[in-house]
Parts: sequence; structure tokens; C-alpha cells
Amino acid sequence: MSKETFEDALAQLEEVVTKLEDDSVGLEEALKLFERGVKLARRCRTQLTQVEARVEQLLAEAAEGEEPPTRPFAAEEG
Amino acid sequence: MSTRIWSVGELVGAVNASLKAFGEVWVRGELSGFKVVGSGHRYFQLKDADGVLYCAMWASFADRLRFKLQEGLAVLARGRLEVYAQRGSLQLIVSEVRPEGIGELQLAFEQLKAKLAAEGLFAPERKRPLPALPQRLGLVTSSTGAAVRDVLKVLSRWPHLRVLLYPVRVQGRGAEGEIARAVRYLGRSGLIDVLLVVRGGGSLEDLWAFNEEVVARAIASSPVPVISGVGHEVDFTIADFVADIRAATPTQAAELVVSRLEAQLRRVDQASERAQRLFARRLEQARLRLRGAAGARGLARLPARIAELSERLRRLEALPRRLRALVQLRHRRLDGASARLFHWPVRFGAPRHREVVTVRLAVAAERLRALLQRRRLELAGAERALAALSPDNVLQRGFSITMREGEPAPLRDASQVQPGERLLTRLARGEIRSLALARQTATQPSLFADGDSDPGPRTPQGAAGGRQA
Repeated sequence: MSKETFEDALAQLEEVVTKLEDDSVGLEEALKLFERGVKLARRCRTQLTQVEARVEQLLAEAAEGEEPPTRPFAAEEG
Repeated sequence: MSTRIWSVGELVGAVNASLKAFGEVWVRGELSGFKVVGSGHRYFQLKDADGVLYCAMWASFADRLRFKLQEGLAVLARGRLEVYAQRGSLQLIVSEVRPEGIGELQLAFEQLKAKLAAEGLFAPERKRPLPALPQRLGLVTSSTGAAVRDVLKVLSRWPHLRVLLYPVRVQGRGAEGEIARAVRYLGRSGLIDVLLVVRGGGSLEDLWAFNEEVVARAIASSPVPVISGVGHEVDFTIADFVADIRAATPTQAAELVVSRLEAQLRRVDQASERAQRLFARRLEQARLRLRGAAGARGLARLPARIAELSERLRRLEALPRRLRALVQLRHRRLDGASARLFHWPVRFGAPRHREVVTVRLAVAAERLRALLQRRRLELAGAERALAALSPDNVLQRGFSITMREGEPAPLRDASQVQPGERLLTRLARGEIRSLALARQTATQPSLFADGDSDPGPRTPQGAAGGRQA
């Protein structure tokens, strides 16, 4: 799922950069590559930041595929 | 004298009774002939250069051993002596065995390590890398220790992490079962990308749960990569050996995850910045090439007079601005021509004027068409540049053409208009009919004048001076 597409998108982004480094690529093609690079970078950043920070403590196990009961966890100072 | 004749049972019983005098004994020897029977009882011999002692250790005692009884092991055994009546052999009923010259935990550790290594559980090729996007973390540790605080402190650096803590006891009897269960559950839950199994520093005894086989097996079979961080830098546990990644401490385990994510963001940023830089450079190159090419082509196609002028201007290194001005000047004429030529049918639709106007315009149109044709030819070489400034585009850019109603000529001078006259203004889309309220004769240069065009006279009186009510 998301981690594969992230790796994939990042690899593609780096490939776009490599292609842009090649001066024999025409302007049309360079523009297409650049636009693609912008999209890929946006997708990567979205994936990197889509998860919201949350610390939860498991209260009990649940069957596979089911969300187990949890409660927010905050480590006590000490 | 009478000689006492013993029954076998009596004699063995008597010997057994006399053996009780030895009480509990400690014996040093080397373990050999070890075997486990179905009931779980262990049988082995202790021997040294001078003798052999048969030993039995009942399952209830043997199961308490942390290490495994192995052939050749030097041990101290504690037990009671007895004769096994059915066989008439002397044996030691063992209640405790200690390895000699090494701690029993140390021995157990070495034994399990060797066993799992032989199974290939520590093999480098089994190690999985940290996932590319470790955003959902499973955390197996005590909910009250320093370790959980250390981990969360580091993780708080990256605001896009979800942590699911499975609280377990991390020391004491039974801790290993809790840890193994937590690792198995979280690993298979589908809720996490990576699993952290951590515990703060402590003695070998404190860290012992992480040296238990059940924990090692749970970690080895985890579907998601496991990072272990147990104790301090110097502490190595079996869990560390079997984990995909061994972190020296809980803090370092968290650090690995966060720095991975930070590095990923850096990679994305660097790649996109690099793409931008490369593309901007490419664009600049193309622009320079295009300008050179367009200039050359334009010159070749311009009529000689313009070519000459352009060449001169180019030598003056003011080509872009000057050429633009030149084009603009010619263009203004074209605008007038186009306006007159193309809009008369609409403009002069009023019936009482139609005939006169039609005749007059037929002549004018012919003349203008010829003029336009000439201009067009003259300007053919600059067509590309002109496109940007074509009448339509001029209107599109917000300019408009104003005429006295009923007259095709565009107005160029406010003094041509009397207040109260009807005017018609052509815009990019549509027309406006209006009534002149007042006029202001040329008191300031044209907004768009540059070096080539005459701005018209300035009147020192300023705006108010030219105004008529």
C-alpha cells in the first residue's frame, strides 16, 4: 500500500532528475519531466506528512483486521 | 555363630537407610550419557577420571533449569544418594545442577545463542531493512519505564507518526511470555509498519526476558521488521541478535525511525529542488537559443530598409526594445486600418446613411485593403513578434478604440470631440455607446510613448487648463 507507492514515487522522482540532467533531452520533454517531477514530489510529501501524530496504548487485542480498543497514552514524567 | 542371611530387598533397604547418613551432597563431575524420557525426567551420569555416578533428575526440578543439560558440561550437582532397588544400582537423585566456572544465565545465553545461530536465525540475509515509510510504530515495552519516555521523546521530533504501545512487563518470571505475545500480536495486526521492542538498562537478570527463546522466536517470525533496543550499548541480548535491526538503546531505536523519515523528506526536497534548477537552466538555454534564432530569421525576412535599421539598432545593442517600438508604431496604423475596414457593416447599419456610406466605404475599403496588404508584406518577417501585438491582442490587453458615432475613423485627439457628442468605443468584446461629457486636450505625453513617438505638446497649465465644461 502507501509505503510501496512512496518508494516508487521517490524512485521515479529521482529518475526524473537524472533524465533532466541529460542535456540532450528536448525542451518539450524537459517540461513534461519537470511537471511530472513536481507531481511526484507533491505525492511524496503528502505521504510523508499524511499521518497525524498519535500515541495510543493498546487496551486489549482484537481479531485480525479489527481495530483493537486503545486509549491515548502519555508517558508520566519521572 | 550364626550367619545372618539377608533377603535382597532387606539388604538394599538397609543400604538405602545407611545412605541417608550422607544427607544432601554436592558432587563435581562431567555430564555424560544424558537422556530425557517421556515423562520429562532426565537421566545422566556424572563422571571423572576415577568413577561414575548414575543420576536421575525429576522433571519438576529439571524444568526449572535455565540452561540445557549437555554432554560434557562441567557441573556441580546437589542431591541425595540411593540404591535403585529394581536394579541394585547406586544413583544420585538430583535436585539442582549448576554449571561450573560460568554463571548459569551466561551458560543459558550461550546455549540458546548457539542453537538459534545453528538454525540460521541470525543470518544477515534474514535481516529486513527499515521500511521506506515507517510511520506506524508498534512499541513493546513497559508503560512505566524510562524506555517508553525516551522513545516518545525522540519520536515527538517527527509530527507524522502513529505509535501503538502494547504495554508488557519487561522483567520477572512470565515477562518473556508477555513480550512474545505482544510481538506476535502487533506484528500480525496489520496496524504497524515497524516494531520496536525496547527496555532500559539493567542487570543480566533484569534483561533476562529478552534472552528467552519464546521472545526470540516471536521476533524472528514477525511479519514486520523489528528493531530491538535493550539495555545499554554494551548489552547484547538474544532479541538483539534475532531482530532485523539492533539499536544500542531505546533512544537509538526511535532515532533510527525518525532519522529515516527525515532523510526521506530530504531526498524528496533535494530531488525536487534539483529538478527545478535543472529545468530553469534548460528554459534559459532555450530562451537564449530562441531569441538568437528568431532574431536571425526575422532579419532575413524583413524588407531591406527594416533589416538595415534593425541591424544598426542591433549593433547598438538595444534591439529588443527598439524593434518592439518599431513594430508597435506600425501596428497602430494597422489598428486603424483594421477598425475601419472590418467594422463598417455593423457600424453603419442605420438606414438613412446606408447608401452613401456604402459607396464611400467601398472605395475606402479597397484602398485600405491594399494598404493593409502592403503593410502585411512589409511586416511578414516580424509576424511572430506582431502576433503578440495583433489588433485583437491589443484589445485583449485592455486597449480600446473610440470613434465618433457614425464615423469610422478612430479618435486620436480629444480636441476632435465636442462635449455632447455621441461616441462609440470598441472593446475586445463588444462596444460601448457613450456621450462625451467633457474633454481634456493633450496636456500630458502619451502613456505609452517611448523614444520613437511624439508625445505631443505639453501645456504648462496642467490638466485643469485644457478642460472644457
